[in-house]
Amino acid sequence: MTGTVRFRFEGEEVTAPEGRSLAAALTEAGHRAFRQTDAGGARGIFCGMGVCQDCLVTVDGTPNRRACMTQAAEGMAVTRQAARPPLSAPPGATPKAERLEPDVLIVGGGAAGLNAGIAAREAGAEVLLIDERKVPGGQYFKQAAGGGAPLDAQQADGADLVARAQNAGIDMLAGAEVWGAFDGPQVLASAPGRSLAIRPRALIVATGAYERPLMIPGWTLPGVMTVGAAQTLWRSYQVLAGRRVAIFGNGPLNPQVALELAEGGAEIALLAEAASPGWQRPGAGMAMARHDARLTAKGAGMLLSLKRRGVPLVWNTLPQEITQGDGGLTVRYRTGGTEREVTVDALCMNFGFQPQNEILRLLGTRMSYDARFSQLRPERSETMETTVPGLFAIGDCCGLGGAPAAAVEGRIAGRAAAGGGEPTAADIAELAHHRRFQDALWTLYAADLPQLQDAPPETLICRCEEVTRATLDAALESGAEDIGAVKRATRIGMGRCQGRYCGPALAGYLARAQGRPLEDLSYFAPRVPIKPVDIATIVAAEPLFRDVPDDG
Amino acid sequence: MAETPDLLIVGGGITGQAAALAAAGAGARVTIVDMARDAGSHANAGSLHVQMQSRFLRLNPHLAENLENSLPLYLDAVAEWARLDQTLGGVELARDGGLMLAETPEQMAFLEEKAEREARKGLSMDLLDAAALERIAPYLRPGLAGAELCRDEGKLNPLVANRKIEARLAELGVRRITDRIDGIEDGGRPAALGRQRYEAGAILIAAAWGAGALAGGAGLTLPSPPEPLHMNITEPGDYAIRHLVQHAERSITLKQFRSGQVVIGGGWPARAGTRGPAPEVLEDSLIGNVALAALIAPGIAGLRVLRTWAGYNTPVDGKATIGAAAEGSRVFLALPGDAGYTLGPIVGRAAAAAALGHDPGIDISPYSPARWRS
Repeated sequence: MTGTVRFRFEGEEVTAPEGRSLAAALTEAGHRAFRQTDAGGARGIFCGMGVCQDCLVTVDGTPNRRACMTQAAEGMAVTRQAARPPLSAPPGATPKAERLEPDVLIVGGGAAGLNAGIAAREAGAEVLLIDERKVPGGQYFKQAAGGGAPLDAQQADGADLVARAQNAGIDMLAGAEVWGAFDGPQVLASAPGRSLAIRPRALIVATGAYERPLMIPGWTLPGVMTVGAAQTLWRSYQVLAGRRVAIFGNGPLNPQVALELAEGGAEIALLAEAASPGWQRPGAGMAMARHDARLTAKGAGMLLSLKRRGVPLVWNTLPQEITQGDGGLTVRYRTGGTEREVTVDALCMNFGFQPQNEILRLLGTRMSYDARFSQLRPERSETMETTVPGLFAIGDCCGLGGAPAAAVEGRIAGRAAAGGGEPTAADIAELAHHRRFQDALWTLYAADLPQLQDAPPETLICRCEEVTRATLDAALESGAEDIGAVKRATRIGMGRCQGRYCGPALAGYLARAQGRPLEDLSYFAPRVPIKPVDIATIVAAEPLFRDVPDDG
Repeated sequence: MAETPDLLIVGGGITGQAAALAAAGAGARVTIVDMARDAGSHANAGSLHVQMQSRFLRLNPHLAENLENSLPLYLDAVAEWARLDQTLGGVELARDGGLMLAETPEQMAFLEEKAEREARKGLSMDLLDAAALERIAPYLRPGLAGAELCRDEGKLNPLVANRKIEARLAELGVRRITDRIDGIEDGGRPAALGRQRYEAGAILIAAAWGAGALAGGAGLTLPSPPEPLHMNITEPGDYAIRHLVQHAERSITLKQFRSGQVVIGGGWPARAGTRGPAPEVLEDSLIGNVALAALIAPGIAGLRVLRTWAGYNTPVDGKATIGAAAEGSRVFLALPGDAGYTLGPIVGRAAAAAALGHDPGIDISPYSPARWRS
């Protein structure tokens, strides 16, 4: 089905198969640097999922488009994003404004959201499911952009689930991004050519998680990206992040992606895990096997395949610093007690996950801090309803739980949100089983990860506003106490990613420095827009809200 | 136990900070007590207002005369900000003028009349026709009827100003205590009552919308209704919008920081906090406010809105309150009465001078608290 599209980047012609994101097409063409920062730095793909706002380019005269979320199209003129583009109205038609009132609105089309949608349909509800990506499936099932044969069982399972969701009669809206959530609930979203105001009877948030990096000098360089970003390039677009790749991190996603990239033809120069090797913790491995023998065997098989392919795997290893040279990115790392270096085209890292809980926090859901995973979790009932009536939360946006648990949570919430009743005994048992497996898995991968206080002073903590640890410390010394005061004093968290990377790190830093426990208020106050929103989208929505007088 | 300060300031926003700066600079021992929550100055977006805001006139027609009589203070306020910009080493102050736009001949007629009233109070106002407006403000949409230009208006970056004043206060040895003051006792040795009793040579109430509750202790009945207001900021663009832009008939302030970010406000309502202390953003305000901004300056539509927030203003009676609560009282007030961030420095400095028995530098008699004596 795939044709070819041709577009221009900085005047140079780039050819790519239809369906590719600009980020994937440009990566394959050898382009790494997309955006220029105010301080003159260069940025490229980092998160690969629309969160970090660092892969910005200007597309056909419209500035600040995310290359990872924009499909390459025939004849496009793409340029690097200047730090301060000229003020000119973008070309293009005004989006169409619509009010929607589904029984159930689901935000997020991954394992949790799709299962919730199917269950809600089975219980008789009209369901609208919106997802940011062009193709549903979420981060776990990562579907291929151009269709085609699945790469493996995981992708095939995802394709089945998406097909079941479609057959169930869920109204699925792709490429739709939620930018506002207000009491009601009222959800404001942008979709291709549309500006939506949605008032569902029940709202299910299934927004998943994004990856946690390690903040070290050089982590913002083009070519340094999350493991998930490299995985999306490969699984969705069949593009390798680099010919020679190193992966640093903590957790089971890293060996999986190392193997996928190796099978795809990349040379994995190093796979480095922060934790100590699993055979030093046989109890956890046995617990895992007891809870899910199949998944445990899959994990062990992966490590074996990596070994067969000659991928160097080291444990107890952390990156220290990344520098850009003529030969590529050089990573200085510490393994055991010694320092080493490796030079690669692309450096991928994943040190765990952060829940995308912005909608939940905005709507006033009561949250509590989970010290084990350093993240907030919403309080939920047995039906996955939060402390806000009619608001359900499922999957990894509630804190790490994994795709199998997310699927069960989805079934439970979907049924309850549609008025179909309490969870079945089988669902409850299955969920408990998946949670026990996750618990054992992360016991196996338990690692003492570096925190903000371990970063050298010149390390950028805020990617967007380019705030270093030294600047933060100066603000703390001059008396800024709470996270809001530090933000106002240094501009940390005021940029386009809205504090998604610096916020959790800073919250932990302040809490540790002041000897206080973390809580919801330790984090940046939740704010609308949830993601930067086009003024055109707001202008389009205005007629839907025109019944109020100017001065209130 | 710490020495009793000469001046205890209740409220650490721009007014209280400016008062502390003046008093400590004159050698006084100064303490600020602030509850470290909801400071309007922390939410402010940095407009320097001089001309009468059409919004205020529409919402508070009964207070229009007070506002009009305060215009000379607005001129002094901008001059005070220019001095602060110098002494603090730059707060991104720009005085490129403020425009109030008219879309129709009727609106233009309103501006003409307003300009005459303002001129009588010593402001120098220019009326621009459509062509003149397009020449100086090409970023505006074509087809406007004209505008009123106030050359004294401008903007500054409150994040920078707040940070630099705070650093200067620390250098001057101003003490800062985090506490919530719930009452004031007047007398020979006045006191502010929080977790503990804070005595001082004089007490200055600079607590904005919190002032009404405190002024009772000094025998005053004054309204300081909190007015939660909405603001928006975009990602940066090329620096092109040099003026502070308002509209003759609709609520808006539109300006651009030197960082290139466009700040959109103008008094759209927010909601007093229901979940936490901070006021909450309303979707109607966000959408109406931003859409109006894009209508006026279409070029901003290439940028995205990054953040919205809300903060408290209080109009009081549209006129500042500066001076002793009563003849001989050791309790003083420093209340801007609308446009608190613009007026804060001049009001704070004059009130601090009055509290220390120094020359306030301006005639504060029109702003006497006497009008609030029950």
